[in-house]
Amino acid sequence: MEYKVEAHRIMSISLGKIYNSRVQRGGIKLHKNLLVSLVLRSARQVYLSDYYAGVCLNAQHIEAKEWELMDADREKLIPASEAAQPSSADCGVSEAAQPGQTRTTGGAQLCLKRHVGAEDGRASRLQEKDGDSLDPSDVAVTSPVSPAISETQCGSSDCETDADAAVTEGDSRQPPKDHACSHRKRSAEETGVSETPVKRTKVTPNAIVANNEIEEGEEMDTSNVSNLITIFGSGFSGLLSKDSAKSESETDDSDSGSGQICCEQMLKNLNPWTTAIVAF
Amino acid sequence: AMAGVGGGNDFQWCFSQVKGAIDEDVAEADIISTVEFNYSGELLATGDKGGRVVIFQREQESKNRPLSRGEYNVYSTFQSHEPEFDYLKSLEIEEKINKIRWLPQQNAAHFLLSTNDKTIKLWKISERDKRAEGYNLKDEDGRLRDPFRITTLRVPVLMPMDLMVEASPRRIFANAHTYHINSISVNSDHETYLSADDLRINLWHLEITDRSFNIVDIKPANMEELTEVITAAECHPHQCNVFVYSSSKGTIRLCDMRAAALCDRHSKFFEEPEDPSSRSFFSEIISSISDVKFSHSGRYMMTRDYLSVKVWDLNMENRPVETYQVHEYLRSKLCSLYENDCIFDKFECCWNGSDSAIMTGSYNNFFRMFDRNTRRDITLEASRENSKPRAMLKPRKVCTGGKRKKDEISVDSLDFNKKILHTAWHPKENVIAVAATNNLYIFQDKIN
Repeated sequence: MEYKVEAHRIMSISLGKIYNSRVQRGGIKLHKNLLVSLVLRSARQVYLSDYYAGVCLNAQHIEAKEWELMDADREKLIPASEAAQPSSADCGVSEAAQPGQTRTTGGAQLCLKRHVGAEDGRASRLQEKDGDSLDPSDVAVTSPVSPAISETQCGSSDCETDADAAVTEGDSRQPPKDHACSHRKRSAEETGVSETPVKRTKVTPNAIVANNEIEEGEEMDTSNVSNLITIFGSGFSGLLSKDSAKSESETDDSDSGSGQICCEQMLKNLNPWTTAIVAF
Repeated sequence: AMAGVGGGNDFQWCFSQVKGAIDEDVAEADIISTVEFNYSGELLATGDKGGRVVIFQREQESKNRPLSRGEYNVYSTFQSHEPEFDYLKSLEIEEKINKIRWLPQQNAAHFLLSTNDKTIKLWKISERDKRAEGYNLKDEDGRLRDPFRITTLRVPVLMPMDLMVEASPRRIFANAHTYHINSISVNSDHETYLSADDLRINLWHLEITDRSFNIVDIKPANMEELTEVITAAECHPHQCNVFVYSSSKGTIRLCDMRAAALCDRHSKFFEEPEDPSSRSFFSEIISSISDVKFSHSGRYMMTRDYLSVKVWDLNMENRPVETYQVHEYLRSKLCSLYENDCIFDKFECCWNGSDSAIMTGSYNNFFRMFDRNTRRDITLEASRENSKPRAMLKPRKVCTGGKRKKDEISVDSLDFNKKILHTAWHPKENVIAVAATNNLYIFQDKIN
């Protein structure tokens, strides 16, 4: 657990450096920011591996029990993918009779789907494969695709875990627990995390959003998470390339003020992914 | 033992001079950012963060003043670069001088290249000690004379005047680098030079400013795929077709310009396998190479990363032939050094004239020398306390644990604001220049 605290601390420091580099004299130093992004990636991997291991064990334990109970009722359930609207059901009790592994990713899957906006029939396909057991290893824990996005809506740590366990690259298996995440989402909004603006959500995970705002949630290229630009979006890349004709002055103006607010929020909030977004 | 360590023949380093203000309050513009001797060692140039270049010249040794053994005095000072503003990107371009490189002397004038992040300039430094007097068309004040009043003609005569050293920019090599220039290196053909930024290396002709050849380009098509940057580059001292460049991943590539116009494919690739037991969050940062220098012989090259200096044989790519630990005691402090940004400090390194010793800087105004033959090393300090004329420098030692001996300094007491990033060794003699923030220290080997 010490590692987790240390990793989180290093992540916060790294994000601070990246943020500060935007206002440093002489422009963004590509070399330094690349190195910082590598540290950030290493720290995050440690943080996530620790975190996932801790929470997943709990979740799997609960899920396994429920699966036994619900086994008989599986076929009667409506696939969550077809009910894309948040339901008002309480998330306290899990009802879906999905294989245990998908359930752990349920909350996040919903978030992914809703924000990515993809119509995805995969969940229904999954549901049909009643006999298949999803290997936990199928749920890739490499790098979250859009934890940023899901985070801004689902601020609670439970949802974050699910997001972390999300399958990459928009290959989202639909969540069975529509309601679970929506509950979290609402509570997150109530706690004020929604102050973190999400300017735009991406349809495709890897597309660079041509946008001067740096506070939007960005999806990560899981194949090369170390890349700073990928993690933190076009607001960074625009400063590097002479090909980009974007003027960054308005961006700087806009984020200098909100950056302050976000920094303060960052300090209060233990959630690293919200941290990641607010720093920008 | 006090004496003798640090050079092949048991040198004893003594304080010679210190240049710069004594003030505790250091203006950022005065921080020295590069130091370089010229080919003869007669001239010593420094660049600072304020964009100024100061050149020192060594006094001729004379029997009249045997004690002022070749002291360096200010020869010329000029403003090389000014701060600029890129309006398109809303970015300020720092005037800090990143590198100075001298050209070999071909006539009475001296030429050097100085660069900031974006623009390289060729400066001519020349002496004027005579002035023409007795013009026909203008009088001594410079006012034009009425031509109709001139009744006689005379030939102007050269009269001696106080020595004036003039620096004038002869070439300006601009707009060729999108990213920050980190290196310049004059080729052995004395006609071309290379400049390197984070992603590209360009080859210039000294006479031509409006274009350059791009010889290395590691910018990926998709910037999201960027994993390493160029950190330093240097031309081979004898083979004008060969150069090397180092990367943030701790690798060095040697390229041959005869092989192809674009040297994206290296001829040799130098990399030492990583020791998996020393892996940490910061392994990648500390493996980034901050400087690469060929030996004078051209047979070896030296690289500096955060904790060590490595000597490579150009004929062996899979590992260095020598590794010297500069300040291994910092390995357990990497997290703090990351927090305070010290881990990003770019230390340089240099060879002595005979390639028998190497030198590099550290913190607390310490600098280190390694004798390649005897494998002995020494730590010395550049400080005002040790600045009595010809005072011998006492070796310093950092206590890494356990009981601290007298005269040792503990790791936690080191001043990380006092860093020696830039050092230079006279090409022929045992004279070294060490830049400590805003002060330039010159040390010499004691005459026995």
